[in-house]
Amino acid sequence: MTATVHTAVPAGTSPPAPPRARRRRTVNLGERAIPYLLLTPAVVVMLVLLGWPAVQVIGISFRKLDLGELVRGELVWVGFDNYTKVLSEPEFWTITLRTVLFTSAVVAGTVLAGLLIALLMRHLSKPVRVALQVTLVLAWATPILAATTVYQWIFDQQYGILNKTLVKLGFDSFQGFSWFSSGTSTLTVIGILIVWQAVPFVCFTIYAGLLQAPKELYEAAAMDGATSWQAFTTVSWPAVRPLVTLATFLSVIWDFKVFAQVWAMRQGGPDGESTTLPLLMYLRGIAGRHFGVASAVAVLMILVLVVLTARYLQLLLRTREGDIS
Amino acid sequence: MKRLTKLMAGAAAIALATAGCAGSGGGSSDSSGGGGDKTLTVWLMNGSAPETLTDALNKEFEATHDGVTVKYEVQEWNGIQDKLTTALASQDPPDVIELGNTQAPSFAADGVLTDLSGDVDALGGGQWLSSLKDSGEWDGMQYATPFYAANRVVLYRTDMFQQAGIAAPPTSRQEWLDAITKLKAKFGSDPQFQPLYLPGQNWYALLSFIYDEGGDIAEKNGKDFKATVNSAEAKAGLEFYKQLVDASGTTAPKDNDEQNPEQAGIYGQGKVAMMIALPWELGTAAKDNPDIEKNSSAFAIPSKTAGKAAPVFQGGSNLAIPVNSKNSDLAKDYLKLLLSEKYQKQLAEAGMVPGASTDLSALDAKPVSKAMADASKGGGKAAPATPKWATVEAGQNPLKDMMTAYLTGAKDLDTATNDANTALDAAFKG
Amino acid sequence: MNKTRGQRLALNTVGLLVAILFAFPTYWLLTSAFKPSTDLLTPDYDLVPLHFTLDNFVSAWQKPGFLSHLTNSLIVTVGAVLCSLVAGVLAAFPLARLRFRGRKGFLLLVLIAQMAPLEALLIPMFLLMQDAGLLNQLPSLLLVYFAITLPFTVWTLRGFVQGIPYELEEAAMVDGCGRFGAFRRVVLPLLGPGIVATSVFAFITAWNEFLYALVFMRDRDKQTLPVWLSTFKTVFGTDWGGITAASVMYALPALIFFLIVQRKLVSGATAGALKG
Repeated sequence: MTATVHTAVPAGTSPPAPPRARRRRTVNLGERAIPYLLLTPAVVVMLVLLGWPAVQVIGISFRKLDLGELVRGELVWVGFDNYTKVLSEPEFWTITLRTVLFTSAVVAGTVLAGLLIALLMRHLSKPVRVALQVTLVLAWATPILAATTVYQWIFDQQYGILNKTLVKLGFDSFQGFSWFSSGTSTLTVIGILIVWQAVPFVCFTIYAGLLQAPKELYEAAAMDGATSWQAFTTVSWPAVRPLVTLATFLSVIWDFKVFAQVWAMRQGGPDGESTTLPLLMYLRGIAGRHFGVASAVAVLMILVLVVLTARYLQLLLRTREGDIS
Repeated sequence: MKRLTKLMAGAAAIALATAGCAGSGGGSSDSSGGGGDKTLTVWLMNGSAPETLTDALNKEFEATHDGVTVKYEVQEWNGIQDKLTTALASQDPPDVIELGNTQAPSFAADGVLTDLSGDVDALGGGQWLSSLKDSGEWDGMQYATPFYAANRVVLYRTDMFQQAGIAAPPTSRQEWLDAITKLKAKFGSDPQFQPLYLPGQNWYALLSFIYDEGGDIAEKNGKDFKATVNSAEAKAGLEFYKQLVDASGTTAPKDNDEQNPEQAGIYGQGKVAMMIALPWELGTAAKDNPDIEKNSSAFAIPSKTAGKAAPVFQGGSNLAIPVNSKNSDLAKDYLKLLLSEKYQKQLAEAGMVPGASTDLSALDAKPVSKAMADASKGGGKAAPATPKWATVEAGQNPLKDMMTAYLTGAKDLDTATNDANTALDAAFKG
Repeated sequence: MNKTRGQRLALNTVGLLVAILFAFPTYWLLTSAFKPSTDLLTPDYDLVPLHFTLDNFVSAWQKPGFLSHLTNSLIVTVGAVLCSLVAGVLAAFPLARLRFRGRKGFLLLVLIAQMAPLEALLIPMFLLMQDAGLLNQLPSLLLVYFAITLPFTVWTLRGFVQGIPYELEEAAMVDGCGRFGAFRRVVLPLLGPGIVATSVFAFITAWNEFLYALVFMRDRDKQTLPVWLSTFKTVFGTDWGGITAASVMYALPALIFFLIVQRKLVSGATAGALKG
């Protein structure tokens, strides 16, 4: 699944063998070292600052690490106790399912909206396009606390502008209507908030990809009499497909882990109905300072994520997607 | 030339280093080794002791303790749990910390606070507020001292009461309900008027009603606690809460608490006759509407029994010394000073119930704080002094869910209280 | 793609509608910042603010620490973004273009590295920084943000490099450039839009981060803006007017960063065509 463009030389064909047979051995050694050298900064940072702490999290998940043990530097191994505790939680599977569904809905909304807006952006006149881009960046740049507060105000039962506007438009049943009376409606509001702040990245990424598709290809397609849809499928889509896949994959990971917005809105309520896995990690682990339990939930979360993204990982490792493209 | 400079620099450095050693002989009674200047790191929370108090205190402490500098840092409540956790686990924890009284048992049980059992008398133990003493105690030992407390009162509009023909603030539940009726009769034509602003999840107020019935949300069972939310007393308290909500027809959200939206702001708009609040909330309301302060006063939450005040939920803070602190003796001296009569009086003057002094006279100066003092004299209780309560407060509070479910009619009284009871018991175990 | 006038108008209208939709919450934040706090809880219809005041901005500006926290935030954020970009571009090239052993393993590492929840990593990271003696120093935050933003920077830049047709580099190499010359001269300029997208995202991620900033920095004068923002919420209630005004002030640098960096989007686009 390379980013091929049908009407031109396929992009991303394998690089040719180095020219010149002379001094091939030393050239090859040097060349072989290059990738590793280039990767060194990234590898070092990721291994030391992410890898090592992550390995420790796995270790901690098999320990009892409350504040006392942390302060005294004690190592108390408890085997699978933390995992048993979490998995035997009555709501665990409900919460996991809820998290998966919520993530899927939010990701679908984000990627779809991002793609459509990016496509739209290509055809806008400059002032409108810049205006749209500025509103997107502002949404992106709003601090999470402010965004959650504003959304709570907009959706407020008594004083929210949304209810006030609906009543003004004639829908009197919305007087004092609570948007947070059930877990589903609460998660919908949270979902809208997250999509609002997530679309800009996806949109800009895909838009950047669209810009990379050479204009000549569009002109060639037009000359061949292609319709907009055909131009999309033959020129635009191949150019952005890897980016859409990428954006989807990243969104799944980020949206699955989202904590701040879900917590700030209703603390997982009403009655625990908007609780997701990250909130469970907070409630059972961090809130009570039981870091062993928190780590166990974190490991379980990673496992679920690996399962969710398994298809993509598989594609990556088995097929040409993972190969040079 | 270079070498000479280096030698001189080295000599100067050594001289400076050893100078400290020679000089520290007198002042501090610090047992953690002699020599050198000491820094005492104190973390108090934003909104606790007023700046005038802490400035005077720190100055006095430094004056009486030679060579000691007080590094005083005001901390925000937002995120303090994480900050304290990592600070206590670090190599140089602060020496004096303030803990919310619902958090203190958790820290005490984790064994991260210095045992102060032997110093209770020196720290003014005779005058300690009992609810705060309890929250600082664990397994028979005292790990934290009281600092200050505050409890709720009923803030009300004196002018509205006058116009509605209410001669004196209510002193019983029936009088309270009667007042609501009179206010409604007088002002009810304004759709935005509310005799009593009472959101669905003000569990502090609910606790007051439950205590008044003679019950509690949990009872001590050895070291553990057992939930009693489905007891007859608790149910009666919840029923009264509903009575108030229904009688006043408040438009406050049933699925949120008194901070969301901020009830002081709503009171400040002038269309609310009463609200159950902490005394300083009047100040918050006055920021938006300065006139409201002179038209407001407070009365203690009435009891079922005429003439008495209902027992109140006491919120407040404790003070503690982390077990890894390097200056624990100095820290104890600091606490001694902070808990002394002089500074406790200043706390009362600032509108708080002092944790280590039974002299509440300074609070009588203002009617709002006087109501608070009267109420606390009537008896105050705090949340169950178990480490598990901290998790309940930081997480999902079953009491709040219970209140919303019952007030909206989603669950009947028995189901709502039973569910909350089960959830609370689970929290106490977990 | 040539469009008729009517089509163009229709598209522009849709574009404007989308912009308005996206702008509404921001509009609400902005107007709330200009409202007196009494108006925040008004039953009256206030799509357009009923009253206008600059008080919130004044008090937010006067709230101690804005400038020092701003400086700290800028240092750690810009620093982390730069590091992330450099390491990211360096890594994207071999991952997208070269064959070598361990490539798939490394790809997997990058992917899985992004899956761990940050809150769970707090304790190990804290202990790591403590052992390194970096606690309460800005470099510790810079490193954390560098580490947090690096995986997706690498991944996204790799995706962009993959999207650039390889024959452009081939053409350059035929013209006499080496592998890297080709990459530098041909691919890098075309990566402009990709660098914009990743750097803005990295900027915003680091700029908004609260938990680690709160825990790693003890001294007030070393703290960052998100911590400053949290001080508006006190035990006495929240200064809502102040928070909204502060949030506006806080979001501005991110916007400015985007505006500076978005010129690249335009220049990158025009350089895009296949030469010859």
